[in-house]
Amino acid sequence: MIRTALKTVFAHKLRLALTAMSVMMGVAFIAGTFIFTDTIDETFNDLFDDLFAGQDVIVQGETEIDVGFSGPPPMDAGVLDLVLAVPGVDAAEGSVGGLAIIYDKEGEAIVPTGPPTIGGSMTDDLRLAGNVELRDGRVPETATEVSIDAKTATDNNIVVGDVVKIQSPMEVAEYEVVSTIGFGESDNLAGATFAGFELATAQRLFDLEGQYSSIVVIAQEGTSPDLLRNSIASVLPEGVEAVTAADEADAQSEVLSESLGFLQTALLVFALVAVFVASFIIQNTFRIIVRQRQKELALMRAVGATGNQVVWMVVIEAIIVGAVASIIGIAFGFVIAQGLTSVLSAVGFDLPSTTAPLATRTIVVGFAVGMGVTVAAAVLPAIRAARIPPVAALQDVDVRLRMSDRRRTIIGSIVLVVGIALIVNGLFGDILDLGPLNELTAIGAGALMVFLAVSMLSSLIVKPFAQFLGWPLPSIDNLTGTLAIENSVRKPRRTATTASALMIGLALVAFFFILGDSIKASAGAAIEEGLRADYVINVDGFSGGFSPVLGNTLDEAPEIEATTSLRFGFWDRDGSDEFLMGIDSETVDQTIFLGVTAGSTEILGQGGVMVHEDIVDGEGWVVGETIPMGFATTGRQQVELVGTFTEAGVVQANFLIGMGFYEENFKGVGTDVDFVLAVKAAEGVPGETSRAVVEAAAADYANVTVRDQAEYRKSQEDQVNQLLVIFNALLILAVIIAVFGIANTLALSIFERTREIGLLRAVGMSRRQIKRMIRWEAIIVAIIGAVLGIVVGLFFGIVVTAALGAQGIDVLSIPAVQILGLVVFGAIAGLAAAMFPARRAAKLNILEAISYE
Amino acid sequence: MTTTQATSTGAVAARIDSGTKTYGQGDTEVRALDGVTAEFESGRFTAIMGPSGSGKSTLLHCVAGLDVLSDGRVFIGDTELGALNDKDLTLLRREKVGFVFQAFNLIPTLTARENVLLPLLIAGDDHDEAWFDQVVGILGLEDRLTHRPSELSGGQQQRVAAARALVSRPAIVFADEPSGNLDSKSAAELLDFMRRAVKEFGQTIVMVTHDPVAASYSDRIVFLEDGKIVDELHDPTPDSVLDRMRQFGA
Ligand SMILES: Nc1ncnc2c1ncn2[C@@H]1O[C@H](COP(=O)(O)OP(=O)(O)O)[C@@H](O)[C@H]1O
Ligand SMILES: [Mg+2]
Repeated sequence: MIRTALKTVFAHKLRLALTAMSVMMGVAFIAGTFIFTDTIDETFNDLFDDLFAGQDVIVQGETEIDVGFSGPPPMDAGVLDLVLAVPGVDAAEGSVGGLAIIYDKEGEAIVPTGPPTIGGSMTDDLRLAGNVELRDGRVPETATEVSIDAKTATDNNIVVGDVVKIQSPMEVAEYEVVSTIGFGESDNLAGATFAGFELATAQRLFDLEGQYSSIVVIAQEGTSPDLLRNSIASVLPEGVEAVTAADEADAQSEVLSESLGFLQTALLVFALVAVFVASFIIQNTFRIIVRQRQKELALMRAVGATGNQVVWMVVIEAIIVGAVASIIGIAFGFVIAQGLTSVLSAVGFDLPSTTAPLATRTIVVGFAVGMGVTVAAAVLPAIRAARIPPVAALQDVDVRLRMSDRRRTIIGSIVLVVGIALIVNGLFGDILDLGPLNELTAIGAGALMVFLAVSMLSSLIVKPFAQFLGWPLPSIDNLTGTLAIENSVRKPRRTATTASALMIGLALVAFFFILGDSIKASAGAAIEEGLRADYVINVDGFSGGFSPVLGNTLDEAPEIEATTSLRFGFWDRDGSDEFLMGIDSETVDQTIFLGVTAGSTEILGQGGVMVHEDIVDGEGWVVGETIPMGFATTGRQQVELVGTFTEAGVVQANFLIGMGFYEENFKGVGTDVDFVLAVKAAEGVPGETSRAVVEAAAADYANVTVRDQAEYRKSQEDQVNQLLVIFNALLILAVIIAVFGIANTLALSIFERTREIGLLRAVGMSRRQIKRMIRWEAIIVAIIGAVLGIVVGLFFGIVVTAALGAQGIDVLSIPAVQILGLVVFGAIAGLAAAMFPARRAAKLNILEAISYE
Repeated sequence: MTTTQATSTGAVAARIDSGTKTYGQGDTEVRALDGVTAEFESGRFTAIMGPSGSGKSTLLHCVAGLDVLSDGRVFIGDTELGALNDKDLTLLRREKVGFVFQAFNLIPTLTARENVLLPLLIAGDDHDEAWFDQVVGILGLEDRLTHRPSELSGGQQQRVAAARALVSRPAIVFADEPSGNLDSKSAAELLDFMRRAVKEFGQTIVMVTHDPVAASYSDRIVFLEDGKIVDELHDPTPDSVLDRMRQFGA
C-alpha cells in the first residue's frame, strides 16, 4: 500500500510540488519566526553575558514592581563605602547611565532607529568594565572628555582628538573624544550608540548627583561570587540589593526575551494565517486528486481493497507530501527569517544580523504543523474516497461525494453564527467573561470560524455571483469570456474554496485598512479638536526622548506663551503594565484640551492621578478615592483620583499625573526625559516668527522635529501607515499562498478538461484564446475571493473599530479607494495565478488532448 | 497500387502527396503512413477504411492539419500545410475545416446552439441565420438548442457535432468514426444527414470508418493497410464493401 502511495506521489511530481508549495510556505513562515526570534534572543543573551564578563556582584536599587521601560531605582552614593568595607571585595565602583545622543560633524543626531542611544559613566578600573575595551586613547578624566563606541566613530569619521556635541538630559555640550571603545570583538552594543563619561560628569548629565544606578564588584581571588553576594547583602540598606553578575545577565536577557515574546506571538499569528490559507489549498487539492482517481480507487476496491486501505492510501500520500513540505519549509525558514529582518529594517528597526540557530522546537513545531495540516486536509477526501462504490470503476459515472447543499447551509450558518458571537463577545465582552488573553484567542477562533463558514456558504452562491461579476465579460470577450464564467462555476465548491483562500488574506488587509484609516481619522480629529498648541516637538523613531532643557529654553523666550512636557511611563495596575503620561499641569490647559469633567489640572499639580472618564465609569471609581498604583522606583502607593477627563487623543494616555509626581516616581528609570513638548506661541506673534524661535531653540537637539498642527497630524498618520506596511507585508505570504492555490486548482482543473481544450483547439481556437479563457477564469475566481474578503474585512473592521471606541478610536473611516483597489489587486493576483496554467493549456498537444482518457 | 486518377471533374478540396508518418525511432519505429498519395475532391463524400492500426486516423489528422507529416506534402485547397505555423494552422482549421470526432465532440458548458456556432464564435464572426436554421432543421435539433450536451442523447450529440462541422461552410469536413458509438438507428440518421450535406449543399466530407454500412453512404472508399492505400471503391453499397473487405481478409 505504501508502495502504491509512493508510486502515485512520484507519478505526479508536479502536482506534489504545487501542493507541497502551499504547506511549505506556511511551515517556512513558522520556522522563520522561530529562527528570527531565536537569533535575536541569542544575540542579546551573548551580549549580556559579555557585558557582565569579569564582574562578580552587582549592587542596585531593589524594586518589587516590574514594569516596562524601567530599570532599578538609583541608590545613594554612600552605599559604595559600605560595599568596599565588606571583606572579600577586591574592587568596586559605582556607575550611572541614561540617555546620551551623539551628534555627527554636521550636527545631525546619530540615532539608530531600533536600538537605544546610551550614555554612562566609565569605570577607572577597566577590570570592572565587563568586556569594554579601549580601542585607542584613554578613559575620560575631565568634564569635557568622552569615549564613544568604535562603530559610531568609524561610521561618522570621528577620531580621537575630535570634538563632538552630545545631548544628555541636562544639556547639549561639546566634548573631546579621548578614546574609542569596543565590546569584546564587537564595535558596538547590538546597534546602540554609546557615550562614556567620567563618573562625576555622568552623574551631573543624568541628573543623578550623589547617586549610582549600580555598583559593580569584583571578588578577591578565592572568594565565590555567591558568598560575596551574601556578605554584601547583609550590609546593604533597605531598598538596595546585591545580585551575582551571572544572575543579572540572565535576568536582563530574560526581560528582553519577554518583550520579544510579544513579537514572536504576533509573527506566529501571521504565520498561522498563512497555514490556515494553505490548509484550504491542500484540502482542495486532495479533493480534486481523489476525484480524478475515482475510477482507479474504485478499481482497487473492486479487486478487493478495503475501504480502510483506500483511506490509508490517500493518507499516506498526504504524509509524504506533508513530510517533504515540512523539510523544505523548515529550510526555507532561514530565508523567511532573513526576510523578516529586512522588513523590520526597511521600516527602521535595525537588528543585528548573526547566523540563526535551528532549535529542536523549530523542527518539531514545523513538522507537526506541516504534517498535521496536510494529513488533516486529506482525511475527509480520503474517507469520501473510501465510499466510492466498486461499481464506479466499471461505469463511467461521476459519483457525488459532496455534502448536500442543505447540510452545508445548516452547518455553515451555525459556524458563522458561533464565529460572530465569539468575536462580538470577545470585543465587547459583556456576555461571557473569558479573561483578557482568552478573549483574544476567542476572537481569533471566531475569525477562523467566520472564514470557514463564508467558505462553506459561498459555494452556494458562487454560481450567481460569478455570473454577476462576469456579466460584462461576454461583451468584452465573447466566447472565451462565456467559457471562463461557465468553467468557474462548474465545480462551485472548488471555486469557493479556492476563492476563500484568497479571501482570508485580503479580508485581513481590508480589516487593517479600515482600522488604520479609523485610527488616522480619530487621531486627526483628536489633534484638530484637542491640540491648542501651535507646535509639537517630538522624537521620530521608536525610542528615546530629548532633554527637558529644550522646554526650559523655550519658556524663556518672549514669543512663547507656554510649553507643556509629556513624559511617558509604565506602572503596575493589578499585575499588568499600564501606560501613563506625566504632564506639566500648570500649562496643559493652554496647550492641550483635555475635556476635564471632574477636578482640575491645578489640583493634579499637587499630586494624584486624573483618569479617563470611561475607565472611571467602568471601574465604578469615584473622584476622591484612592487607587493602588505600583511604580518601579517607589513601589506600591495609594494614589488619589483627583479628576476625570474625556479627550485622550493628544496625550494618548488614559492616566495622567503631574510632572512633580512623575519625577518622584520615575527618576532615573530612563524615561524621565521629554517625550513630547507642546508649544503655544504668545498672542500676536506672527507664525513665521514663533516658528523661527522654536526651530532655533530646537536646532541643538538634532534628534527632534518641530511640527505645526497639520504636520503633526500628518506625522501621526505616517506612523499608522508604517504599521500598515508592516502588517500588509506580513500578510503577503498568505496572499501568495492563495495565488498558488488558484494556480494549483486551475492546473488540476485544466488537466480534467484536457479533451475539451483539445477540441477547442481542433475546431480553431488559437493558443491566445485558450490562454485568455483561463486568465478570465482565474480573474473571476480571484475577484470572487477579493469581494468575499472585502465583505468579511468590512465586518471585522466595523466591529473592531466600534469596540475600540473607548481607546479613543471613535471615528469609523472606510478607505473606499484602497478597498476597491483590493478588487483590482485580486484581478492582478488572478492573472499571475493563471500564468503557468494558461501556458500549459495553450501548449497542449491537440491530438493527445482529444484522445486523452 | 496508389490510385491517383480522378474520377470526378470537380476541384480538389484536399490532397496528400507521398505522405509518410513515422512514430518512434529505430527498432520501435512505426510507419503509420507510408507514402500515401490521395486526393479528396470537392463535393464528394469519401470514406477511409482499413483494419485497426492501418493508419486511418493518422491520415485524417495529417490531412486536417492536426498532425504533421514526417515526409510528403498536404494541401487544403491550394494551401500547403507544411508551410504553416501553428497560428496559421489554427486559422485554417477554424475557417476551412470542420470536424466530427467519435466521442467527446461538444463543450459541456455550452448549449447545443453555442456548440453548433462554436467555430464562428471563436472567430468572432456573425453567422448566417438562415443557413443555421436550415442545418439545425435538417438535423432535427430545433427544440434542443438550449440544452447542454449532458441533456442530449448520444445521437443528438453527434448531430450537434455535425451541425457544427457544417455551419461555417468549411471547404472540407473530417469525421473520425462519427457513428462509432451510436446505435444503428442514430447512426443511420447521422450518416444520412452527412450524405445529404454532400448531395444537397455540395459539402466535401472525408470520413474514417471501419463499418461497411457506414462506408456505403459515401461516394468513394479508400482502403488503407499498413499505412498504404491498397484499393479504392466507387459508389459503394454495403454488399460491395463487404465483398471487397473479404477479398483483403480484413
Ligand atoms: N502517437 C502515437 N505514437 C506512436 N504510435 C502511434 C501514435 N499514433 C498512432 N500510432 C501508431 O500508428 C499506427 C496507426 O494508427 P492509427 O492511425 O490510429 O490507426 P487506425 O486509426 O487505423 O486504427 C498504429 O500502429 C498506431 O499504434
Ligand atoms: Mg482510429
